[in-house]
Formats: sequence, structure tokens, C-alpha cells
Amino acid sequence: MSQQPALMSLQAVAQAIAQKRLSSREATQSCLDRIAQWQPRLNAFMAVEAEAALAAADAADAALAKGAPPCALQGVPLAHKDMYYDAGRVVTCGSKIRRDFVPGVTATALQRLKDAGTIRLGSLQMAEFAYGPTGHNAHYGPVHNPWATDHITGGSSSGSGAAVAARLSFAALGSDTGGSIRMPAHFCGVTGLKTTVGRISRAGAMPLSQSLDTVGPLARSAEDCALLLGLMAGADPEDPTAVPGPLPDYLAAARQPIRGLAVGIPRAFYVDDLDPEIARILDDTIAVLRHEGVRIVEVDLPDQRQLSAACQLVLAVEAAAFHKRWLIERPQDYGPQVLMRLQNGLAIPGVSYLEAMRWRGPALAAHLAAAAGVDAVIAPVAPVAAPSIAASDVGNSPDAEAVIQRLTRFTRPINYLGLPSLAIPAGFTADGLPVGIQLVGRSFDEAMLLRIGAGLQRATDFHQRVPVLP
Amino acid sequence: MTRPSPKEIQAIAGAAGVPVSADVAARIANSIGPAFEGFAAIAGTLPFDLEPATFVAVQRAGSADPTAGKAAR
Repeated sequence: MSQQPALMSLQAVAQAIAQKRLSSREATQSCLDRIAQWQPRLNAFMAVEAEAALAAADAADAALAKGAPPCALQGVPLAHKDMYYDAGRVVTCGSKIRRDFVPGVTATALQRLKDAGTIRLGSLQMAEFAYGPTGHNAHYGPVHNPWATDHITGGSSSGSGAAVAARLSFAALGSDTGGSIRMPAHFCGVTGLKTTVGRISRAGAMPLSQSLDTVGPLARSAEDCALLLGLMAGADPEDPTAVPGPLPDYLAAARQPIRGLAVGIPRAFYVDDLDPEIARILDDTIAVLRHEGVRIVEVDLPDQRQLSAACQLVLAVEAAAFHKRWLIERPQDYGPQVLMRLQNGLAIPGVSYLEAMRWRGPALAAHLAAAAGVDAVIAPVAPVAAPSIAASDVGNSPDAEAVIQRLTRFTRPINYLGLPSLAIPAGFTADGLPVGIQLVGRSFDEAMLLRIGAGLQRATDFHQRVPVLP
Repeated sequence: MTRPSPKEIQAIAGAAGVPVSADVAARIANSIGPAFEGFAAIAGTLPFDLEPATFVAVQRAGSADPTAGKAAR
């Protein structure tokens, strides 16, 4: 096989292993070789478990050699954001407080990927307690962007974005509460799926906000995200908020043609105050959609600033409530910015929080009505490409919250509405930094987003470009 | 809905069992002020017969997944 196995797509490597054209050991060793080269530059991994991964790969190969029918991802090595509980293994949540935390249970999403035959490469860096959009971490250092290592990856799934972009893992779990999958997908040039609230069980995933948290994959293409979603989605007795029922065939949906579909472009907010390169790439993407036979329709969405403000009220209070015991007992063990943001939630009156929660239904109804004539809405993920690590290292300065809110202003409204959103690579700046766009769908309509995203990726090659080791 | 003042924040945080200094209260007021201002047009306007579960009902009624819709009924 002439291509490095680590450069293959998730689907391709799974097929090659199942058909014994490639061994799990070869795939795993290829990832480990790249990790050894890149990790000193990226800081993407919290822990690399090379020996255990190779032993698991050998076991997967042995099972296949004995004629066992392969699972969907038999012997495929993956690493995930270090907030998915894996019974008996340390899960730091990117924090000092949980530096030695060993859970007794395994997250449902992770277990389903294990049941599909995946093996563990290690764990991936993240923002402390998933509360930060840049990729900085006061305890473990920033994760560096593989496309320009003095730039941020975005967060909070910072290691997931960097590891998938640099082809260190074929895919990775992230989580998205205010943009934490889409931001790193945008800044690192990978595909990331924020799922509908209720689509994937959150049992065993570190909580940040029970109303807003979602589990989802970062991968190298929309088709790879479709494969992973199909394996993880659905009801779970451990999480009653996970919606039951038969699921669509997401991979088949991703392979459907997009000609004749309608995509909405908001007239305001998402097109305001954009960096010129982001505006250009958004226009280019719309042109590709048109070329592929998609009808582009201008849409008037309700006031997104109100949604964003409501999201901030809900997230701040719920995060503070989860952390209250440690805020009392161990405030010194938080990084300055996370402590500052958690303290914000202490100051929001209960009535304000509940008003923000009560408005969620009417706000979603208004959004769905405004977007009723289209299959999805297209928007930028962020108004800028990845800032430098130095420029975005705002800590707990007086401007920190304003910087964070500016970076996440296009993602938070979607979290408040609980809608699915697919971020896909859409171009590069003149400086070589990747830029993504997001497709926002109706509740539980991930299949449509994957269809449009895969259609775009059949017409472009941005998702196939690989950063070069500096 | 007006943004809480630093003094009010000190009182609310203290009542929540996590007292904060005057400096921290001033910083919190600065941080969360825009959220209060952004939500001001909605605050105090919601109808009486509206409850948080409305979100789940709307989500599943407006869903592309008919099974999710059935689960809500």
C-alpha cells in the first residue's frame, strides 16, 4: 500500500482492515508514527497509549484471521476528547481538579464505538472542563493548529480538531455546548457535526450544561461523520433525554444527490462584520452550491443576538451549578479564565435563567417558521480565521468575555435552539489558514446536513488537504 | 431586565454560598452585562401559559424524524 495508512479516510481504512488488505497493526502504527512526529508541535494528545493500542490492534487482527465477521470499524484506532468516561481509565476533563479521576462507567457514545470494533490510541486535549472556545488550557498548555502552529485550534475540542487535521486519528469525539465542535472544525479544516439535543446519549460524557450539551464527531469528511453518527445515535436507558426510534441510514443519505435542494442564506447577522476572507469563502461556497444545482434563497431569521444572549444566561448558570461544590472547595485549582466564567453564573438570578429557558420553545418555533422554505441554512462558523495563540490568550482580563463572545457569536444561537449543524472545510485564507462554513438544519435532520455537506465535498477538495509538518 | 450592579452581584453570589470580592463582582458585572442587555427585549414579556417543556414539544413537532415526533405525543 503506497499511501500512509493514517492518511486514509475512516471508511477506507475500515474497509481495508475488514478485507485484510491492511492490518489493524499497520493502521495503528501509522497513526503512532505521525503522533510521534506531530505531538511535540501540537500538544494534541493528553495521553498516548502506544503499547496498549498495538496490543489491541494485534487482537483485532487475530480475530479477523480466525474468520470472525468484522464489525463496522474493526481494528480502527481512534482517540477522543478527554471527557468521555472510560471505566477504569483516567479522564482529566482538561482540568487539574480531575487530573486523577477514574470513572467507574463508560460513556454510551464511546461504548458504542468500542462495540463497533474501534481501538484506543489515547486521549485528546481539551479546554478545561470544555469551557473555552480558543484551545488554551491553563494547566496543560495550548493546543497548536497544524496549519500554523502559532495559531489556535479553537475549542473546546481542541485536541480533536488538531489530531484529525494532522491525520493522527481517523476521527475523534468532541462535544458542542456553545460551538466546541464547530470552532475547531473551522479553525483546523476538518468536518464536525454538532448533533440535535437528544440525538446522541450524553450518559458518561462530562457535563457542562444539561440543556445545551451535545455529543458529536470530528472527522475528515461528511461521509465519515455519517458513519460515526449511525453507530452512536439513538435511545439509551442511561440517558432518557436521548430520543428513541429507528434512525435514518445516514451514510446512504450522505450519498444522495443535492441537485434541487434549497439552502437559505441569512440576510443579516451571519453576514455582518465578517473578515473579508470569510465573506469571500462564504460567497465561493454559495457559488459551488448553485453550480451543483442547489437553489439559494435569502432568509430572514429572528434576532440572533437575543438567542445568543439567552444561550449565555443558560450556559453560565448551568455550568456554575455543576461546579458549585468545587467553586466553594477548590477555586484555586481552576485556571483563571474558567474560574472567571464559572463565577459569572453565580450572579444571574433564577428568574432570569428560567425566562431564558421558557423562551426556548417559542424561539425555536420562530426559527423553524423562518427557515421553513429551505432544507438548511448556510452561515460562517466564526467571523475570522484562527487568531494567533498570543493574540487570543486573554486569560481573565477585563476583555476576555467580549473576545470569547465575538469568536462564538455564530455558534451560540444554534446551541440555544438545540439544532444540528455541520461544519465543513470551505477554503483557505491567503495565509494558508483553513476556513469552514456551517450548515444548520431542522431538529433531528442531521441526514440532510450530511447530504448537503457530502455533496459540497464531492465538488471541492478542501477536506482532503493535509497540513505539512513544519 | 437590567444588568445587576456589582453590589447586587455580591449579594446574589453570597446568598448562593460562594461570596466574591468587590473586584470580582465588578468584573462579573462587566462580563454578563451584555447578556442581560441582549435578552432585555424578551424578559418580562413571556405569556403565563408557557413552560420550559414547550421546547421539547416544538423540537419534536418540527422534527424531520417522525419517530421523534411520536415520542413527544
